Amino acid sequence: MNGILIAMIGALLLPIYEAWQDEDIWQKMLAFASIATKTSIMILVVSVLRDDWMIGVVGVLILSVGNAALMLLAHILRRLNEG
Amino acid sequence: MISILDLLLRLTIWFLLTSDLSLPNILIGIAVALLIPRRYTQLSTLKDWLQILWEVVVAIPQAYIEAVEIMVRPHTEEDIVTERVKPRRTPGLIFLDVFVITFTPKTIVLNHHEDGTYEVHRIRRPRRKTKAKAARRPWS
Amino acid sequence: MIDNISYGLMVLGVVFWFWGTVPLLGHRSVLYKLHSLSVSDTLGSMAIVVGLLLKIPREWPLLLLALISLAIWNTVLGYVLAYCSSQGGGND
Repeated sequence: MNGILIAMIGALLLPIYEAWQDEDIWQKMLAFASIATKTSIMILVVSVLRDDWMIGVVGVLILSVGNAALMLLAHILRRLNEG
Repeated sequence: MISILDLLLRLTIWFLLTSDLSLPNILIGIAVALLIPRRYTQLSTLKDWLQILWEVVVAIPQAYIEAVEIMVRPHTEEDIVTERVKPRRTPGLIFLDVFVITFTPKTIVLNHHEDGTYEVHRIRRPRRKTKAKAARRPWS
Repeated sequence: MIDNISYGLMVLGVVFWFWGTVPLLGHRSVLYKLHSLSVSDTLGSMAIVVGLLLKIPREWPLLLLALISLAIWNTVLGYVLAYCSSQGGGND
């Protein structure tokens, strides 16, 4: 389990690097979407690893609220680009 | 028809969320599901719903197959095609159509036009374009 | 046995994560990256959650909810990002 978690942290570093390095706003949005999903899955894995399901409930809640904010932001950006 | 499915969906979410099948909880769930407002846009048949739900089930293994496929042989070409929407689709069915197409990794819906077409973005393997065109999705 | 399948699914999920995230660093179009991200973030994460589900079956209702909402939200976000980035211009 520990190995899997370390690999996941490694995978998380890639979109973080991309979000920092790329100037284009849509590429940044993609990277942020990826970060959001990956961290919430990691919360679930950590909750199993520590055998503490309270953490897991938080992860499930984050997943079911979803990336609503990112979708809203995408629509705002589209309006800005149009105008 | 849509209202029963709608109710079932709400009840499923409620029971998964509370994971409690006692009588009071069932009653609360039904009350909440009935009280939440909904829109009445009917006219889709049960057959359409069953068909699209079956497509959703099939899409899951298919998505994994496509994922392995694009991992094994790189798909580097991309193009945009338009696909027709099946006639008489209600918004709920169109949403599920878009979901099925976008869920599989090789295709993403870009836009849905009012006149009944989707813009679909695909990735595919380089060369052999005619073959790729022929292997269109069944509902196109 | 169940444990091995569960680990296998999680490793598969992490492999999907890496495979789908590495193209993010390249210089391809947003849409192309979106295809590979749907492999990693939707399918890979679903594999990981199913792996967790096999590990702690007693929490199946919440994990199933996580699985369903993961699939729906990620797919919808993919569609919204594709739609918005292609409509507003600046899509290279």
